[in-house]
Amino acid sequence: MPFIPVLHAELIKIRTLRSLVGSLAAVVLVTAAFSALASASPDRNDPDPLFSAFFGVSFGQIAAIAFGATAVAAEFRGGALRLTLAATPDRPRWFAAKATAIALPALAVGLLTGAVTLLAGKAVLGAEGPSWAQGLRGAVGCGLQLTLMALFSAGLTAVLRSGVATLSILVPFLLIVSFVIGDMSSGIADFLPDRAGQVVLHSTWDGPLGPWSGLAVCALWTAAALLAGAWTVTRRDA
Amino acid sequence: MTSIDVRDLTKEYGARRAVDHLTFTVRPGRVTGFLGPNGAGKSTTMRLVLGLDRPTSGTATVGGRAYAELPEPLRRVGALLDAGAAHGSRTARDHLRALAASNRIPPTRVDAVLEQTGLAEVARRRVGTYSLGMRQRLGIAVALLGDPEVILLDEPANGLDPEGIVWIRSLLRGLAADGRTVLVSSHLMNETAALADHLVILGRGRLLADTPVQEFIDARVQPEVRVRSSDAGALGDLLARHGHDATRHEDGAWTVRHTRAEDLGRLLSEAGVPVLELAAREGTLEQAYLDLTAAEAEFTAQPQEV
Repeated sequence: MPFIPVLHAELIKIRTLRSLVGSLAAVVLVTAAFSALASASPDRNDPDPLFSAFFGVSFGQIAAIAFGATAVAAEFRGGALRLTLAATPDRPRWFAAKATAIALPALAVGLLTGAVTLLAGKAVLGAEGPSWAQGLRGAVGCGLQLTLMALFSAGLTAVLRSGVATLSILVPFLLIVSFVIGDMSSGIADFLPDRAGQVVLHSTWDGPLGPWSGLAVCALWTAAALLAGAWTVTRRDA
Repeated sequence: MTSIDVRDLTKEYGARRAVDHLTFTVRPGRVTGFLGPNGAGKSTTMRLVLGLDRPTSGTATVGGRAYAELPEPLRRVGALLDAGAAHGSRTARDHLRALAASNRIPPTRVDAVLEQTGLAEVARRRVGTYSLGMRQRLGIAVALLGDPEVILLDEPANGLDPEGIVWIRSLLRGLAADGRTVLVSSHLMNETAALADHLVILGRGRLLADTPVQEFIDARVQPEVRVRSSDAGALGDLLARHGHDATRHEDGAWTVRHTRAEDLGRLLSEAGVPVLELAAREGTLEQAYLDLTAAEAEFTAQPQEV
């Protein structure tokens, strides 16, 4: 069974659910809005020009997580997965198509978010803003980080077979745990998926991870979640 | 020729055995009714045929191949399992478009099945606004989407209005007449009797019967004749004299078992008993089914004391 038709079907499914289109729109709006707010009142004590511009990603990623979780969770209601797997019995291939169908729009929207946020940040911050080279790194990193978080959430949803369960784990974790542990800023916390992935949004960093190695760690988390999701989908009765 | 072959199929969920060494074949060109009480294993068997659940042992194949090995399976096998499978926020048309794309079914089929199932007018409305009957029609549209040779429908009459039931009856009969293989599960006897040619009956996961509908009824239910005369006394005497197994009703009519209307009519005419009513009463699938399950209950009942 070829991959492209399955991917096509999964892209149609994403395009035709308003909640998914809405959460993608929210990624751009929330990130840009919170970034603009943060840029307008930058932290004078610890100025990090790049992170001042990309501060909103911490909030925008919640929309990205909602996107990934909702896209997969839609399969776990009302016997939808049975219908999907009756059409595509090759389960690993189906899950790969699902992940790709989540990644493609998430990356496109993520990069758009990066570009909008950078432009807004530079406009508001002016001379205090990041350099273009740094800003470009941040914008690309923003797109990749948001995509990875959407996929991480998608994998976790396949494991838990529920979007509500996934969001009630991830959202408090990102909003609370990561912020609290983040301030202690050392050791294990640096290797959590969102912390590691956000190093790329900073002008300077003092942890063990740099921008690209941080994204690589985030990608490892994501790969682990997706593999666990694929394993669950393949092993369990639909 | 595409048959569904179930061979020694067993499925256990923990300690519960939902399907128990089941063997039967569903042949093309006729409607096979899949009967049994709720929980008998009908839906589980269908999921096993579709490769959705993994059998504990045994095999289920379609046209000699496991479902999962079929390339673009919707073009070979169409199934209705849950009417709730379509996402409530999506339109019926988009739901069908995605499924069609996955199996490279031409988009023209989407409009064709919407037309065929009477959903063309509401195709651009969100499924969440549909009645149960409309969702059921959408599920049937999905089953027909790939123009498959094999069709499996789990309780398709659920939620359909009387008009819908008549519609699905003629639809399924037409599909079988085209030479397709049609398996329809139900727990409704009259509905199944009206549309099936052949029966596969399950009870507690085991095969109880695999037989043509008429043979099943004839073997299990004795036909009866209802007769009424203006001379009730003469009629009673006559029946008694010929040793008929007959019961008298309050309205003066008699039900005579183990005889045919032709034979009883001749007898009455020769005896000169005036006849007001003489009617053959064919056995129904329901009677035959209850007879079968009663026998089955007796057979499986465990002695209470040792």
